[in-house]
Amino acid sequence: MATSSIELRDVTVEFPIYGSQKSFRSELKQAAGGIIRRDGSQRRRVSVRALDQINLRLEHGDRLGLVGHNGSGKSTLLRVMAGVYTPTLGEVRIDGSVSPLFNIAPGMDPDDTGYENIVTCGLLLGMTLAEIARKALEIAEFCELGNFLALPVRTYSTGMTLRLGFAIATAIDPEILLLDEGLGAGDVRFAEKAKARVDALIERSSILVLASHADALIKSLCNKVLILDSGKIVRFGPAVETIDAFRAESDEAPTAKPGLHVASG
Amino acid sequence: MIQPDYTRTEIDLRTAVTGWRLWVRLGWQDVKRRYRRTAIGPFWSTLSLGIFMLTLGILWSRLWKQDIRGYLPFLCAGMLPWVLMSSIVTEACSVFTGNESIIKSMWFSFTVLSCVVVWRNLIVLGHNAVIFLVIAVICLVPVTANTFLVIPGLLLFCLNALWITILLGMVCSRYRDVAPLVTSILQIAMFVTPIFWAPAQLGAGRVNAVLVDFNPIYHFIDMIRSPLLGNAPTLWTYEAVMMFTVFGWLGTLALFSRFARRIAFWI
Repeated sequence: MATSSIELRDVTVEFPIYGSQKSFRSELKQAAGGIIRRDGSQRRRVSVRALDQINLRLEHGDRLGLVGHNGSGKSTLLRVMAGVYTPTLGEVRIDGSVSPLFNIAPGMDPDDTGYENIVTCGLLLGMTLAEIARKALEIAEFCELGNFLALPVRTYSTGMTLRLGFAIATAIDPEILLLDEGLGAGDVRFAEKAKARVDALIERSSILVLASHADALIKSLCNKVLILDSGKIVRFGPAVETIDAFRAESDEAPTAKPGLHVASG
Repeated sequence: MIQPDYTRTEIDLRTAVTGWRLWVRLGWQDVKRRYRRTAIGPFWSTLSLGIFMLTLGILWSRLWKQDIRGYLPFLCAGMLPWVLMSSIVTEACSVFTGNESIIKSMWFSFTVLSCVVVWRNLIVLGHNAVIFLVIAVICLVPVTANTFLVIPGLLLFCLNALWITILLGMVCSRYRDVAPLVTSILQIAMFVTPIFWAPAQLGAGRVNAVLVDFNPIYHFIDMIRSPLLGNAPTLWTYEAVMMFTVFGWLGTLALFSRFARRIAFWI
């Protein structure tokens, strides 16, 4: 566990935009004999550069906060670290197993019972059956669903579904933990419990990368911060100093209320 | 030129082997879901398939002046692998686009997702096989040594179903026109492939060569159908299927090694 590390070298990610202009038909035409364009220039595919030459190294014990506006590349960077997106250019080296928690319990099926979903989602998150059996009781206890766990998730309220998903997702033992903000968990009373559970989860992890709009949250949880703007690194450094300096420089106020830990949305 | 990433391919395939529990469970859950709040679940499709074959079997055996005791088992033994094949191919087109939430939230083996499609259709085949058992008993279909060829037949069938699922899933994620194209090809293929009729009825000639000898769908179906009826498939059928297996996997792996990492961008 102590050997976990993340290294990004010149990582650039471009999203191709597929839409009206390019489809099977035009590719077929190209494949079928190369239409020479009048201007002779190559028609470039439209793409959006989400990350631009990111260099970064994280070691065991690092807690990195990602700060930036919507669309600045925070989520893309997390997904590159998770192995979802392979960079268009550059290199990613990751030692240690990665546990991404971007949305609550992907693969949760509303027609299955709570218990069934605990097993399915647990397997999807990479737990073994033995591990799930060991943790099932604790998950059931934490989400406070009681007998509802024997009913299909379809019959739950939104808050109950969130609680179940949250309980499963946070039961993992992560080496490298990637968190996207908005890992919401229902009502206010539950939010207190959820906060304690996220803190414990982070405590267990070797490396944490957290994307958030809440400066206070990042200052309290992270020792390093990376500020992104349009896919480029604006600043990188110790959490508190870097954020303060950045906020002092830019006129804008912090974008979220301080102390907002587990926001829903 | 895009560089192939064989390590990624190897890890992807290996995850499906070591993580067989996951796709076995996901497949079962998919089938179990069809039972929810219905009395007979997937047997509804079995029932409608049974009625379809019984009515058409009676009608066509009259039209073509064939003995119903011979025609009905023939029709059923051909329809089972056909339904298996066509539903796998149809579902393959959405195997990755339909699992977007999983693919975009973590690194996930595409082979595992493809195994789920093949496996859950095998379970449905198990339901449909009941029809054949009933018909076989009533029509006294002989059980011979050849009957056991159905087991290697099914294995070869699944081996091919897997690469077809991976390949179609990949192509359909990138080109959204392919899925409807596949659907319409399947509709035509059902009629021009010897499923409702026997190759012998066509007589020799060029048409026969195209629709039978060089029709991979025919070979896949006959590899299952002939053993079910107590006969052995021809050697050419096995040869054709083997070739299809080898070239199909090679082609799929070559494409997969180049484009697997792009799938998340496509869906």
